[in-house]
Amino acid sequence: MRRAAETALQARATTLYFGGGTPALLAPADVARLIAAARRWLALTPDAEITLEANPGPLDASRLAALRQAGVNRLSLGVQSAHPAELAVLGRGHSWEDVARAARQARAGGWDNLSLDLIFGLPGQTLAQWRHTLDAVLALEPEHLSLYGLTLEPGTPLAQAVASGAHPAPDPDLAADMYLAASEDLHNAGFWQYEISNWARGAHSALEVWALPPAGETERIGPVSRHNLAYWRNTAWLGVGAGSHSWWGGSRWHNVCHPRDYIAALAAERSPIAESEVISTALERGETMMMGLRLAEGVNAARFEVRFGVALAATYAEALNRWQAAGLLVWDGARARLHRRGRLLGNQVFGDFLPD
Amino acid sequence: MDSKHIRNFSIVAHIDHGKSTLADRLLELTGTVTSRDFSGGQAQLLDTMDLEQEKGVTIKASAVQMRWQAADGETYELNLIDTPGHVDFGYEVSRALAACEGAVLVVDATQGIEAQTLANLYLALENDLEVVPVINKIDLATAEVAKVTAEVAELLGVPEEEVIAVSAKEGTNVAAVLQAVVDHVPPPPETDADAPLKALVFDSHYDVYKGVIAYVRLQQGRVDMDTPLLMMVTQAKTEPVEVGVFAPGMTPVKELAPGEVGYIATGFKSVREARVGDTITDARNPAAEPLPGYQPAKPMVFASLYPSEPDDYENLRTALEKLQLNDAALTYQPETSQALKFGFRCGFLGLFHMVIVQERLEREYEQDLVVTAPSVAYELLMTSGEEVVIHRPSDLPDPALIQEIREPWMKVQVITPTDYIGAVMEIFRRKRADFLLTETLDQQRVMMTFDVPLAEMVIDLHDRLKSATRGYASMDYAFDSYRVDDLVKVDVLVNKEPVDALAIIVHRDKAYEKGSLLIRKMKDAIPRQMFEVPIQAAVGGKVLARVNVKALRKDVLSKCYGGDVSRKRKLLEKQKAGKKRMKMLGNVVIPQDAFLAMLRLDED
Repeated sequence: MRRAAETALQARATTLYFGGGTPALLAPADVARLIAAARRWLALTPDAEITLEANPGPLDASRLAALRQAGVNRLSLGVQSAHPAELAVLGRGHSWEDVARAARQARAGGWDNLSLDLIFGLPGQTLAQWRHTLDAVLALEPEHLSLYGLTLEPGTPLAQAVASGAHPAPDPDLAADMYLAASEDLHNAGFWQYEISNWARGAHSALEVWALPPAGETERIGPVSRHNLAYWRNTAWLGVGAGSHSWWGGSRWHNVCHPRDYIAALAAERSPIAESEVISTALERGETMMMGLRLAEGVNAARFEVRFGVALAATYAEALNRWQAAGLLVWDGARARLHRRGRLLGNQVFGDFLPD
Repeated sequence: MDSKHIRNFSIVAHIDHGKSTLADRLLELTGTVTSRDFSGGQAQLLDTMDLEQEKGVTIKASAVQMRWQAADGETYELNLIDTPGHVDFGYEVSRALAACEGAVLVVDATQGIEAQTLANLYLALENDLEVVPVINKIDLATAEVAKVTAEVAELLGVPEEEVIAVSAKEGTNVAAVLQAVVDHVPPPPETDADAPLKALVFDSHYDVYKGVIAYVRLQQGRVDMDTPLLMMVTQAKTEPVEVGVFAPGMTPVKELAPGEVGYIATGFKSVREARVGDTITDARNPAAEPLPGYQPAKPMVFASLYPSEPDDYENLRTALEKLQLNDAALTYQPETSQALKFGFRCGFLGLFHMVIVQERLEREYEQDLVVTAPSVAYELLMTSGEEVVIHRPSDLPDPALIQEIREPWMKVQVITPTDYIGAVMEIFRRKRADFLLTETLDQQRVMMTFDVPLAEMVIDLHDRLKSATRGYASMDYAFDSYRVDDLVKVDVLVNKEPVDALAIIVHRDKAYEKGSLLIRKMKDAIPRQMFEVPIQAAVGGKVLARVNVKALRKDVLSKCYGGDVSRKRKLLEKQKAGKKRMKMLGNVVIPQDAFLAMLRLDED
């Protein structure tokens, strides 16, 4: 963290995120030390959002309470599904009972910002099963939900199982139906969709699905992920630890992936950076669009102009017009945002904002 | 050299039976080249193009002069004329053979007689050539020397002793081939010393400095640097830039005498002016009649070539122009297509010729091409009595105006082991072929003869035959005739618009089958769009079949956080680049390979 602070002298962190792998296995005392280090070296603010990712299985009441005590204030649980067969397809070691218990114990341990991750579009999953999972999860009254459509990554055991016929191939149209059904169900349950895959329990109720947040500011919706919001707004972040990514001062880099190599590099006072990419201004603009259009708030034209010194309208006139005409984008001069119908076809739109 | 000491011969063989290797050994043995010339990776000297060496097929003829002292102590001038090794170039082969008095027939001792062995033999006999039978590859363990010797002897009606057994690869017994050429191939016939010049052009190539180099065989008369030349068919006139022989490189000589083989550099700017089969005469004292047998090059197979990037259109035109300098059989005409924009409709002698042209454009001229499915030339008799030839299906006029449609049929000979007779029959039955007869060659093999519409052959006949017979069958074919049939045009409509480059002409009985197969292949090739795209097959405005490419509903990265930015951006960039290479049909995006859907029609 000290090394990261040397890279980014002006860093003033407003969020901290323990993610990637199984950070919940860290001893709560070590989590506390890391938070203290972040406060010292990265000026982590007192009211910072501090999230920890966890799988429901290995958690118990005392660990949950200790983590909360250590200063973590947001818990993100990888639930995935309420159906044993679907959890088996995903190769997850936990059960729905583990999820329900962990959620209960978290509440008892003082957690008031709980986020749950789900996956849809699984091989063999039906629309009815999916809605049942949503119902079961809503009953846990989370503050936040992330819904991810399954992507079969080549080389993964699941992709191989589908290729060999052990599982049926997922149907992309059914996945689209599941997404739209979830979008309705969550809206009716008082959640506000603020990003393509993310919903927060609304402090206000949205008039419609994919509504513009109050005053165009996502934070006003309620318990959104402020940390992830920084990614989507393409503001700077620093990664610490093996395999972590950073985006600072016009460069993006990531550290060596294996913890052993990472530890060895730091012990030898060597840089742990595995790969670094300089992002040109044109690319940074494109990435700002690619990430920003994922948000219901979209890309704010005034902020874009302040950041890049050029007008959004002039920079992307052709792409804005084309996708507005195609009905996938809304451009009103103040902000560009995906149309409700564009949420499922984002890739068609985003590419046109990247430099050739 | 006096004509008694000249022998003009070619080597003919089925593909891969060792023709080029034997030629190399002859060149070495006569000291025309040293074995060092073969080092440096160029295994076969006569096959000069990369493509020739790679495909093991001679595309252009060539001629090499060798000098060799025979058993009688006399030195002979042996002119080896190499012939193109593919049936697409049958006419060129026939002209090369017309320049010879003899042919060495090479048969692989491990394979025996094959379809092209027979076809080449018959061609040689038609040209009254003396045939010197040779069996090759006797060094191989699988060689059946006695059996194949007997087969060849019986085929030619000669005693078995006359069949020379060699290993061209090892150089075994190759001198016997040269001696047999001297002994059995007659010298060029004596001619009147005053007879006017008649030089047969049996091939040509374009040279940047010397213009078209005509490869000639002098039937009568002499030619030197002072002879003004007249091409008897094209009526083009020129003065020789150089007269010489291939020994093996171009070597100028003072003159070429009757019976000799060599070259005349004409200074012509295109091979069209010195066509294969034309007769060169002395413009001051022209011969009365040209040599017989000239035929204009007649393309049989047509396909459209489009640049992948529309900006490359001019480059493609230049490349075709350059290629045509050396290839009198290649024709091209500018055309436009809705989706593919500007390109060329090209005519080829056959499918192999098409592949060669395509590969040369891609390799030597670095063209990135979209090639439409091949088609043939149809002859139309209009109700007005007018005769029309069309080279692409989309040009077929309103059926009401057409009295009859004729399509080219080929005569095809297949030699196959008896085990595969049924499989071969089935392949040809599906190709609308007429089965004519089966002849027994020996206990294991038969020769089957079919008449087949060329349009059915251009797709995949050869590959199918090879796979159905585990590679054992061999095939030869030649144009037979144009025949009237009940043919219709099947239009493919994408999003209600007929697509010119996808129209096909098929027999009415097959219209539904082919049409529905074609649109199903198209459906697989067209990615889902933002709206539903109907694809229809129609004959004369009547829809036969329809499939829909469903609208794209989901195309989005589900997870995209800080660590994903570079990877996900690269994914989008790749998707964008792929989209750029696609073609637009109205507002439908089509990948280039959708235009080849027809080539996959017979896969099921």
